[in-house]
Amino acid sequence: MKHSCIIILIVLVASVAPVAPAAATMADAQAHMPEQHRGLLKEHCEKCHGPDTQEGRVRVDDLPLSIDSVETAERWQKVLTVLNAGEMPPKDEPQPDSKIKTDFLADLSQAMVVARKSLSDQHGAITMRRLNRREYVNTLKDLLGVEINATELPSDTGPGGFDTVGSNLFMSANQFGQYRGLGREALEEGFARHAGVAGTEKLRIEGEEISADFKKQEAEAADAERRAKEWIAKVEEAAARPENSEIVATLKKASKNDAEFRRSWGKIAGAPPPEDFGFKTVENNADKANGALSRSTDYFSAYREKFFAMPALDTGTYLTIHTLSQQVTLMAPWNWPPGEFVVRVRAAALADSPPDRRFLEFGTDPRNGKGLHTREVTGTMDAPQVIEFPLTLTRANDNHDTRAKRTLFVREKGTQDHYLQTRIKFNAGKARNKVGPELVLWVDWLEIERAPAANRQTPPGIAALGMPLDDKSSEPSASDLRTGIERFTAVAFRGGPVPPAFVDKLVGIYDLRRKAGDKHAAALKETLSLVLSAPGFLYLAEPSDDATRRSLTGPELAMRLSYFLWGGPPDETLRELGQTGELSKPAVLAAQTDRLLDDPRSAGFIRPFIHQWLVLDRLDFFEFNRDRYPRFDHAVKQSARNEIYETFAHLVCGNASLADLLQSDYVIVNDVLADYYGLPHPAEFGFQKVSLPKDSPRGGLLGMAAVLAMGSNGDTTSPVERGAWVLRKMLDDPPPPPPANVPSSTRLAGKTLTPRERLKMHQEEPQCASCHRSIDPIGFGLENFDAVGQWRTEDSYQAIDAEGKPDAKQPKKTWAVDPSAEFYGGPSFKSFAEMRAIIASKREAFARGFTEALIEYALGRPCGFSDEPLVDSIVKQSAAKGLGTREYIHALVGSKEFSTK
Amino acid sequence: MSMPITRRRVLESATAIVALPALESLGFRKFASAAATAAPPKRLIFLGFGWGVTEESWYPDIKTPGADYTLSPGLAPLARHKSDFSVVQNMWHKYSVEGHEGSTMWLTGANRFAQPGQTFHNSISADQVAAAQFGLQTRFASLELDANPSTTKDVVALSGHGPGLSLAWDARGKPVAGLKGPVEAFHRLFSQDKTPIEQQKAMLAEQRSVLDTVLESGRDLKRRLGQRDTAKLEEYFDGIRDIESRLSKDEQWIGVAKPSTKLREPEASLEGREEIKLMYDLLVAALQTDSTRVVTYRQPVGTLLTSLGIKVFPHDMSHYHTTRAEKLDCSQKRDLAQSELLAGLLDRLKATKEADGSLLFDNVTLAYGSNIRTGHELSNCPMILAGGGSGLKLGHNIVMPKNTPLCNAWLTILKRSGVDVEKHGDSTGIAEELLA
Repeated sequence: MKHSCIIILIVLVASVAPVAPAAATMADAQAHMPEQHRGLLKEHCEKCHGPDTQEGRVRVDDLPLSIDSVETAERWQKVLTVLNAGEMPPKDEPQPDSKIKTDFLADLSQAMVVARKSLSDQHGAITMRRLNRREYVNTLKDLLGVEINATELPSDTGPGGFDTVGSNLFMSANQFGQYRGLGREALEEGFARHAGVAGTEKLRIEGEEISADFKKQEAEAADAERRAKEWIAKVEEAAARPENSEIVATLKKASKNDAEFRRSWGKIAGAPPPEDFGFKTVENNADKANGALSRSTDYFSAYREKFFAMPALDTGTYLTIHTLSQQVTLMAPWNWPPGEFVVRVRAAALADSPPDRRFLEFGTDPRNGKGLHTREVTGTMDAPQVIEFPLTLTRANDNHDTRAKRTLFVREKGTQDHYLQTRIKFNAGKARNKVGPELVLWVDWLEIERAPAANRQTPPGIAALGMPLDDKSSEPSASDLRTGIERFTAVAFRGGPVPPAFVDKLVGIYDLRRKAGDKHAAALKETLSLVLSAPGFLYLAEPSDDATRRSLTGPELAMRLSYFLWGGPPDETLRELGQTGELSKPAVLAAQTDRLLDDPRSAGFIRPFIHQWLVLDRLDFFEFNRDRYPRFDHAVKQSARNEIYETFAHLVCGNASLADLLQSDYVIVNDVLADYYGLPHPAEFGFQKVSLPKDSPRGGLLGMAAVLAMGSNGDTTSPVERGAWVLRKMLDDPPPPPPANVPSSTRLAGKTLTPRERLKMHQEEPQCASCHRSIDPIGFGLENFDAVGQWRTEDSYQAIDAEGKPDAKQPKKTWAVDPSAEFYGGPSFKSFAEMRAIIASKREAFARGFTEALIEYALGRPCGFSDEPLVDSIVKQSAAKGLGTREYIHALVGSKEFSTK
Repeated sequence: MSMPITRRRVLESATAIVALPALESLGFRKFASAAATAAPPKRLIFLGFGWGVTEESWYPDIKTPGADYTLSPGLAPLARHKSDFSVVQNMWHKYSVEGHEGSTMWLTGANRFAQPGQTFHNSISADQVAAAQFGLQTRFASLELDANPSTTKDVVALSGHGPGLSLAWDARGKPVAGLKGPVEAFHRLFSQDKTPIEQQKAMLAEQRSVLDTVLESGRDLKRRLGQRDTAKLEEYFDGIRDIESRLSKDEQWIGVAKPSTKLREPEASLEGREEIKLMYDLLVAALQTDSTRVVTYRQPVGTLLTSLGIKVFPHDMSHYHTTRAEKLDCSQKRDLAQSELLAGLLDRLKATKEADGSLLFDNVTLAYGSNIRTGHELSNCPMILAGGGSGLKLGHNIVMPKNTPLCNAWLTILKRSGVDVEKHGDSTGIAEELLA
């Protein structure tokens, strides 16, 4: 940790001095191997790799300590590789002292990280880039009013950096085809939506209809059971006749059970057919009768009985688990065009419902769909409540899994994420009361209605066309067509030039399509899909020659600002300020920055930035152990992820201190998460500020369930994963990437050990210790949180055998969690609270890490060493304003770099 | 929309080179390859499996090189083919430093840091070197197969492949997109285009004017750009040019029906073991019909585990060393499943007859492996070579000098298959040890 600080200091001195440092000299003298390490090389390497002999053509005595070229970096990489792999010095030679080797490796791997960074420094150059996937989706949405599913495009995120970094955004022939297809899809959707814009559709299903349906089914089943019993009595009566004794004996011998025996009723003289008792299908109807027999005694019978004894079935129904009305569903009719809808449900929670069973989950695709929104039901049977959910109905609802995607559901939260989970929940209830889980949520009705017309604006792309978009109206004249296409292109190209030759060719394509037999609307969509796959739409261009850096023009600045803060194109206000040049005035730029951040579209910045900066995708890498963590269901996981976004949104919105992410006396949670954390629920719906009790472990990133859950494998915690994450994201001291070829130690394999005992191994080998001495202690400090972020004071380990069952040979081991440890190089801490306080005191480091990430994201290029002055100035400006989160954004937007090509 | 359905299919030839067109003048009635060849052509298969293998039980004993070696437990399912493949040990990519990227550089050997001012760099993969030459003869220059994507999980990341869109990287070092799963592969290879020839030609012409149109819009932008930005926009133009050359190829194939196959259209839901099996079937069918001569397949590992009923997180599986138990068990089950699948593929290659009576197996070279050995280990990369297409020594446990460039193996295979190439990646020469 120390050494990397030293390196950064050197950088500062080197880079602050010249006003406009020449690019080439900037990289010099940054990645540096401390002189003292020559000793190890001299003593252990130079005999074979020195001036006299160069075994394997490797020579180390002349290795420059400054790693300033790709060649030198490769030579040092080789040294690092063989030392990590334990290949050198050879086994039969004297080995370096363990401490010396550990320090050598720590410094060298750190120096290599610095070298890689400095060698890839782009010195402020921002390469033109295409829209990344999410910007592409947002831009189409702005243009045509529809949000398409573009998951077929490359996701653009990855280990290489943010999805805004132009040099990582490739284009291929393949993608051209995809853009074409997606553009066509967006136009289909946009045209269809436009057609349905005046609709007033509405549909409702009443709970009592569902209850009545179940009642009818139940009565039928009871009747079938009665008839089955009557039939069996007759069959047995016939079987008991003496003349049948022989055949009955033969049949019984051949049958596994009575049911199978009865299938052969035809061979027993005098036995009546099951058909006489109402079992009439084309199969062997004995099966039907046999199946009907156990209705009153089956696994769910007591649960059903309880259901039918509930009050208010004549006005509604109950949400059950595993059988009966697990979900109330409603299908949007086929002929409803796409658009925005409101889904409402009138519901109540019974007086004795436990707090964590009062949540209603809403979504589409009842069988396979995950919940889209979850809400706590606060209504009572005396005063039920109407809850609203938003829903966008798209054409995709028409294409595949058609019916399912058009079908809405409401159900109790966490009862149908996975069939095993459903089973676990039902069985737990039944084990408790011999009946099944308590019935706690009542639904009066569920309805869907098109959102009020006031919210429907014609999107700019559709408006620009200014011509009929269907084949019912009369066709546009040739000149109207051309004008419409030209206007559409101008909007789609976001103010960029529209070459007349391009429009000519577009009209040519339209004509070609008409000649080939297309009607107007189809030909138009084909033609416009080309506009949506042209460079003018797909690329964010700031034309310039390479020789001189120039200021952005007004429109370019507007574009950069809106793609930064919205992830989409500028609106009319911003565009106009760009065109008039007003935007280049600092006060106007700052005001617009505030306006964009206050707009809901700023989610287009907050979510992707936070997601990528804090690498939240790890949350989806594994399934969590349902048996072990029944409370960590889909709704909790989704809310936990949103907590991070919403907390950051809160900081941006109120310009609160960035340091609140390190530690705070409040959390931003919704009702689901408040319940999960055992906190008072927020007063209003959605994510709200909730104050914490004094000694709460929550408040700040380290107390967030999603952060802690990412530091696990879904089953047990991973102190290494957590420690490394804290170093990377909170302390701005990222450990070097895990080295390749480090020999794995198997000494402790298969033993029942606490993580602490197991990780001790890391201290034994210099190759491991060089990084893990910094990583592991932080992980230990977080051991009070289990794999799903719940507080614990005890942990246990049960060895699992090859079959996945508890290993009988090794008993379960339980131990008290010990969070005490010592940061490498100090200080030590006794508890999570102490560790958090130490981390929270490193505000400057945290702010730097955040600022570097922000620069990379906003400017679309890695934040290199040549950016240190910019980082400094942003950190300083914001510190002067109380670390206000919005100040960082203002300082960056106001910087010269932000408005320079 | 009366005809746009067929039209769309052609337009999508950008993504899926669809059933097209003919070499009537030559009078051949062959299905997929342009010219009947006297001797069966040489073919190449590269299969990559991300997270490596279980080092203790996958590799034969490194101390018993040669033909007289004992098959390791992880390779046991391959016993019936023992004399027809070789295990190669001690090869690696010296520049590889990423312990989580089993496929990104596997066929390229590139140094990701080679370009100052860039954080990532790659170079052409061995299959694409071959495709540039062999591809002239066939409907598809090469076939890049990739795992069936899941809607909820990143199959590629969970399989330890690292960045890329398939195993293949083009001459510019840009990732080549793969066909994701059996359904896409099936349609690319065997879906028939029933559009009349005249109409196909008209559609091709239209497709050309489409390209011409977008190029027109780009030209204007390009004029105003500096050098660095031009290079970026050039990717777009390169893409369009690629489509143009595909169109020219399509034109040659107008009227030539795609080969028929006994394989049925696969189910979209197949994942893991059944998916790989089916992809192997499709791969054999593609080679048998001479639709292509170069195939890569970036196999799923994450979903393979799921399909085996294994719940261990795939990455953790590769780190079984510290705990062993269920992680080691999972790792070994993975090895067995992969070996069984490979054995099935070798069965198929041996059962498939060529026009001259030889076996398809005799004319292919198959390389099977990963850049990762196990955990973060990048030396002694797992590698199996099979097939008679390039004169390789089969039936051996070949132990190379320690840290021999893996690119030497690629160079050897390429050269001996008849590709005109002198160097690949960081190769230092032919690996004579691999040759019979």
